[in-house]
Amino acid sequence: MTVTTARTVTTVTTLTLARAINEGLRKAMEENPKVLIMGEDVGKLGGVFRVTDGLQKDFGESRVIDTPLAESGIIGTAVGLALRGYRPVCEIQFDGFVFPAMDQIVTQLAKMRLRSLGAIKLPVVVRVPCGGGIGAVEHHSESPEVYFTHTAGLRVVACANPADAYTMIQQAIACDDPVIFFEPKRRYWDKAEVDTAATDVLPLHAARVVRQGSDVTLLAYGPMVKTCLEAATAAEEDGRAIEVIDLRSLNPLDTETIFESVRRTGRCVVVHEAPVYSGFGAELAARITEACFYHLEAPVLRVGGFSTPYPPSRLEEHYLPDLDRVLDAVDRTFTY
Amino acid sequence: MRREFKLPDVGEGLTEAEIVRWHVKPGDQVRLNQTIVEIETAKAVVELPCPFEGVVTALMAEEGQSVDVGTPIIAVDDGAAEAEPSRATPVEDTVPKPPAEGAVEPGVHGGPAPKQERQPVLVGYGVKTGATKRRPRRAPAPPPGGHGPGRGAVPVQAPPPAAQVPAPAPAPRTAVRVVTLAKPPVRKLAKDLGVDLTTVKGTGPGGTITRDDVHAAASAPAAAPRVSAAPGAREERVPIKGVRRATAQAMVASAFTAPHVTEFLQVDVTRTVEAVRALRELPDYAEAKVSPLLLVAKALLVAVRRHPMINSSWDEAAGEIVIKHYVNLGIAVATPRGLLVPNIKDAHALTLPELARALTALTETARAGRTQPADMSGGTITITNVGVFGVDVGTPILNPGEAAILAVGQIRDMPWVVDGQVVPRKVCTLALSFDHRIIDGELGSLFLRDVGAMLEDPLRALAWS
Amino acid sequence: MTFDASRDAQAPPELVQLLTPEGERVDHPDYDIDLTPEEIRGLYRDLVLVRRIDLEAVSLQRQGELGIWASLLGQEAAQIGSGRALTDADMAFPTYREHGVAWCRDVDPVKLLGLFRGVSHGGWDPTEHNFHLYTIVIGSQTLHAVGYAMGIQRDGAEAAAIVYFGDGATSQGDVNESFIWASVTNAPVVFFCQNNQWAISEPLEKQTRIPLYRRASGFGFPGIRVDGNDVFACLAVTRKALADARSGQGPTLIEAYTYRMGAHTTSDDPTRYRVAEELEAWKLKDPIERVKAYLFKNQLADQAFFDAIDAEAEALGRDVRKRCLEMPDPDPMAIFQHVYAERHPLLEEEREQFAAYLATFESEA
Repeated sequence: MTVTTARTVTTVTTLTLARAINEGLRKAMEENPKVLIMGEDVGKLGGVFRVTDGLQKDFGESRVIDTPLAESGIIGTAVGLALRGYRPVCEIQFDGFVFPAMDQIVTQLAKMRLRSLGAIKLPVVVRVPCGGGIGAVEHHSESPEVYFTHTAGLRVVACANPADAYTMIQQAIACDDPVIFFEPKRRYWDKAEVDTAATDVLPLHAARVVRQGSDVTLLAYGPMVKTCLEAATAAEEDGRAIEVIDLRSLNPLDTETIFESVRRTGRCVVVHEAPVYSGFGAELAARITEACFYHLEAPVLRVGGFSTPYPPSRLEEHYLPDLDRVLDAVDRTFTY
Repeated sequence: MRREFKLPDVGEGLTEAEIVRWHVKPGDQVRLNQTIVEIETAKAVVELPCPFEGVVTALMAEEGQSVDVGTPIIAVDDGAAEAEPSRATPVEDTVPKPPAEGAVEPGVHGGPAPKQERQPVLVGYGVKTGATKRRPRRAPAPPPGGHGPGRGAVPVQAPPPAAQVPAPAPAPRTAVRVVTLAKPPVRKLAKDLGVDLTTVKGTGPGGTITRDDVHAAASAPAAAPRVSAAPGAREERVPIKGVRRATAQAMVASAFTAPHVTEFLQVDVTRTVEAVRALRELPDYAEAKVSPLLLVAKALLVAVRRHPMINSSWDEAAGEIVIKHYVNLGIAVATPRGLLVPNIKDAHALTLPELARALTALTETARAGRTQPADMSGGTITITNVGVFGVDVGTPILNPGEAAILAVGQIRDMPWVVDGQVVPRKVCTLALSFDHRIIDGELGSLFLRDVGAMLEDPLRALAWS
Repeated sequence: MTFDASRDAQAPPELVQLLTPEGERVDHPDYDIDLTPEEIRGLYRDLVLVRRIDLEAVSLQRQGELGIWASLLGQEAAQIGSGRALTDADMAFPTYREHGVAWCRDVDPVKLLGLFRGVSHGGWDPTEHNFHLYTIVIGSQTLHAVGYAMGIQRDGAEAAAIVYFGDGATSQGDVNESFIWASVTNAPVVFFCQNNQWAISEPLEKQTRIPLYRRASGFGFPGIRVDGNDVFACLAVTRKALADARSGQGPTLIEAYTYRMGAHTTSDDPTRYRVAEELEAWKLKDPIERVKAYLFKNQLADQAFFDAIDAEAEALGRDVRKRCLEMPDPDPMAIFQHVYAERHPLLEEEREQFAAYLATFESEA
């Protein structure tokens, strides 16, 4: 939407993250009639988080499809639609419900291009609201990203703010490979300025230094980016200058930005909601240690969930990394 | 030409099979895919079709014989010429070769038949048995650690360009961290030796700092760490780091936890000085430097045996005083890096010549800057020789973890009363500081008195040993 | 289990048949076939050549040239019959045994062998012959076919998708989900189930209490059972189902009642769970014999024709063998190709590192 002032037309507007995705979806659908949206409750209801609000009304039931309650079916039929030349954007209603679709995602979506020796492309986007901190019941607060980063053939990205959400969803739709698109549901209502006509935007798989600093590098993605920024602000009182990087893309990974930062600061802490054990931080720690070995003043530390299933909501604040847990890890990197 | 058919894996997990019945014999004409033999696997009989056409020249296994997969079982003359037909060129849907130059032969081109090294399983060709030897390599393997401190990485002193950050929060400090390149064990070594890595030039690959670099820095005379004052400056600043910082921390820890009491004793050490001269002549002491400090040390060790409580420490956490029945004798040494207190382990068990050698070694090592962290830990009692600086006495501060420290001043000629006459004698002042929580005035005094007595008359040390 | 899903020699009721095992034409109230003698001879040729390719592949596996092969022996009629019902615009989604359908779509048989030889995981372009890649995960392709059909709907094209799967697959969640999707979207898709009575060693009654074709009514679309060994009936029934799909009448489930004469794959030993009598009974219903008998009895073909077909089959077998043996192994660097459509820096890095690593070894002589 544009705001016209006396002399200039500005395309900068304040949007929530959910609305930014909505706008991005809308733009993608306007630009390419092959783009479809499909998922449970995405049409008439506009999505349980209203992310697809208004789209069925404007683009019709043929392009915004309310599907049966069948996640495997959503992905499987999306594969078929893609084979027919469409660009389906699937919604999995909650992170914890992606599991029935795992087979179609891992054995079909990820592998079909190789199976065809390059003849087939499957430009399917799978949108997954993820993460906790919303006081929900079981299966609504998961962080399943590593199942997908570990599956060759998929691309995995996570937006953390409205401006990125707006551009990244469009880039994901335009990508000819299958993309798992994680949306931090607890940040759906965060607002920020979005320039809907911006042209010099970061590539889909680039990381961004969202806060500069010299003492330690924090790596985060999705919901934890905001937490890390808050921690970095609090750390000023300790006299610590923390650099925060929003990874944005987990596979592929922007190692150049990460390594440049860690070589400069000499210390690194990874923060994610998913359990630390076998979490994405493990890949980052190993890779950074190998590439920045001589620059490291301390080992790469990881802050994340415990080796337990996600707890009931009354306990989740103790499970989720918060400002104090992040800064505790930062303190620990300085004890080496 | 002669073609041999090796017993194949027929996909039933077999490693061997029994020949049940031959359907052909030598001399028979066989067609392609004609059943030539029945083999029995674990549970079923399988017919094998012949892969060649021609005349059977030999059956290489007998009925009833058990044969391993991969063993030739039949030979057929297919009537073709000896030369092998050349491989057909790849069809269009194969992968083009990589652009590498030279005779690179990546991988093992497995040919049509699975090699006999495969262990058959239910689905597929089966498990290949592992290699037992390495493949020969042409070039030395890449160095461990791969690419050094980072491809294209230069120790960066400036923050990344602002263009990368859309709305950067300004960094609270403008100070920029100096990047040092060193792997973790080297960093630890530097820390233990009190070496500041930012002042060390790295000689390792890519400018990395090596162990040797750290050792060299530790033993080199300290480059004056001063920030040179501008001419006419009223102040000068010297950074607090390294040994000085460590020493300061230790002193503060000691001074403000143990209540110090210092007692003084002036001693006529003329006979000690004479004894030192005499000892120097003895062959046993040829290797070592003998000085009055040696006899001070010996006197202290003897006195410790007489007053064990002096050689103890206060364990607040356990609520106990720990009396040590060994003496790790610390000797304060002035080194280019600052004051160090290495100790001689189990000094109480050393003979006098051994003690002399230990003292010599200790001071030489310390002055060369090669004292190891282990040498400086675990001390139980310390001697500090302030006399070398030309002063009479001081009030020494306890080494943390110890209960007593003996300061020894300079030896000089002073008037002394001997048999009612005032005569010049070699006189030295001793000062004993002790932890008053453990050691009361009486104990401290008796100890100090004993040390003094042995220095006044070395024979007493012999008598009390 | 009181219901006997039946493996006896009598054809169960409600089974569309137009040609008996003895080669006699019979009528059916709902289905008929109008074929010229040339077309029938053509079907015979299809059946014989497809069987020959299949037998050659089994031999090649027994000789160690293929890691595994899934034989279609006994199911030729179901595949040729349904395959010949397809138009160019239709799209076929096979499992991993539809070598007969591939034949109908003009896919070079040697292309199928690559997968079983381990040279690729498939390797052909589905759009070239409208024949999708083989799918090894049981039943997955049914959803792909339904999605494809949903795409056809959106294109407004006159085409249909047909998807093949076995009796065992009907137990998979994805297959049942595909029935749901196809029915509620009215998708132009034909579900062709080759009920060959066995899912490896599991007999039909492990998968269902009722005849499979009746499943469809539970989902709200027509189901029909056809004699899977009768190429005329399979052709007729599939034509109708495809026509219905193309004309917007939605999905049909066809259960082709047939028998897996061979093993599940060459790694399987059916003697461990099947009795010989059963096999013998089904031999009497051979799909090729009945067409031969029909041609012969009706003087639509002579011995010269049959000999010519046999000779053609023999030549085809040799050609397939020759080209199989000539199939080159892929280059090790092929591992890194075709994983992504767009550039992937980490994969490129791995590829370079691996190439460098390989270059450190002396050449194999």
